[in-house]
Amino acid sequence: MDIAIAADAEATLPALTEAVKRLLTADRKRAFADRGAKLAAAHQKAVEAARVEATYGWDASPISTARLAMELWGQIKNKDWSLVSGGGGWPSRLWAFDKHHQHIGSSGGAGVGYGAPASLGAALANRKYGRLSVSIQNDGDLMYAPGVLWTAAHHKIPLLSVMHNNRAYHQEVMHIQRLANRHQRGIENAGIGTTLVDPNIDYATVARGMGVHAEGPILEAKNLGPAIGRALEVVSKGEPALVDVVTQPR
Amino acid sequence: MMRRVVLAAALMAGALFAQPPNPTNGRKLFTRFGCYQCHQREAQGAAATGPRLGPHPIPFARFTRYVRQPTGQMPPYTIKVVKDAELADIYAFLESLPDPPAVKDIPLLNQ
Repeated sequence: MDIAIAADAEATLPALTEAVKRLLTADRKRAFADRGAKLAAAHQKAVEAARVEATYGWDASPISTARLAMELWGQIKNKDWSLVSGGGGWPSRLWAFDKHHQHIGSSGGAGVGYGAPASLGAALANRKYGRLSVSIQNDGDLMYAPGVLWTAAHHKIPLLSVMHNNRAYHQEVMHIQRLANRHQRGIENAGIGTTLVDPNIDYATVARGMGVHAEGPILEAKNLGPAIGRALEVVSKGEPALVDVVTQPR
Repeated sequence: MMRRVVLAAALMAGALFAQPPNPTNGRKLFTRFGCYQCHQREAQGAAATGPRLGPHPIPFARFTRYVRQPTGQMPPYTIKVVKDAELADIYAFLESLPDPPAVKDIPLLNQ
C-alpha cells in the first residue's frame, strides 16, 4: 500500500533518531560505540595528516587554498556560521562541521556557475536566523552570473564571499591539458578559452561597482586575515562583502 | 686509433657542454608544461588533482619513468613534448624546494 504523507527531513529526523534509540539492544549499542571509536580514531589521523599537508606552500603567493580556508576558519569558528558555497576541499578536512546547516552541499554535477546564485539563496535563507553565511567563491563560477552581487547589495543580504581566484576555468584547463598530452601536442594552446587572464579580472572593482564592499586582489597571505576581518564587520551589519584572493590553482 | 680519438673528443665535448640541472629553469618549465595545474605552483599537490612532488621528490629514475608512462589521470609527457634535460631541470626544482614550517609553528593549524 502506498500512503502519501507530507514530510520534512529536518522535522522528522529528531523523532526518528529517538525511535531508533528506543529499539536498540545492549549488543547493538556496544557495536555502535566500538564502530564510533574506530571512526573517531581514523578521523583524528586524517586531520593530523591534513594539517601537515597544509604546511606545504603555506606562505606561497599566489595564496594556497589551505591558507585561505584556515584564515577564514580562524575568524568564523566561534560564530553561528554556514558555508554556502565551495569548500569541498580544505574546509571538509580541517573545519569542524557539527550542524546540518553548516554546509549546503554542491551543485551535484560539478556545475560551473551554480556557486554564486546558490550561495546568495542560502544566505537569504540564513538571514532570518542571524546566521553568518560564508562562501568560497570560484572566479570562473562568478563569471556566469555576476549580477548576484548587485542583488545581494540591493536586498541587503549578508554574505561573505572569499574568492578562490585561480584566474581560470581551471577544471577545463586540466581536461584540455590531459587530452593535448595524450595526442603529444604539448599544452601551448590549453589556455585558449579556459583561462581568465590578459586582462586579469579585478573582482573587487566589479563588486564595488554593484554596491558591495570589496577588497583585493590579495596576493600575499599576510594581508588576507585583516581583509577578511574588515569584510566580516560589514557582513555583521547585514550587508554583503567580497574579498578577492588570488590563489593557487587548487 | 682514429676511432679512439673521435670517442675521446666526443666525451670531452659532452663534459664541456653538458649543463648541470638548473632549478630556476625547472621552475619555469614546471609552469610552462602545466605541471602546476594539478600539482600546484610550489609542487605542494592537491587532494583532488595530484600529489605533492617536492621537496624530497621520489628517485629520479622513478620520476622519469612515471612522467613518460603515467597511470591514472595524469597524461603522458613523451620525449616529443619534454626533453630529458628539461625533466632534469624540473627535478632539480623539486629538490630545491624548502621544507615547510612545522604544524606546531602555525597557530592557524592549531585552532
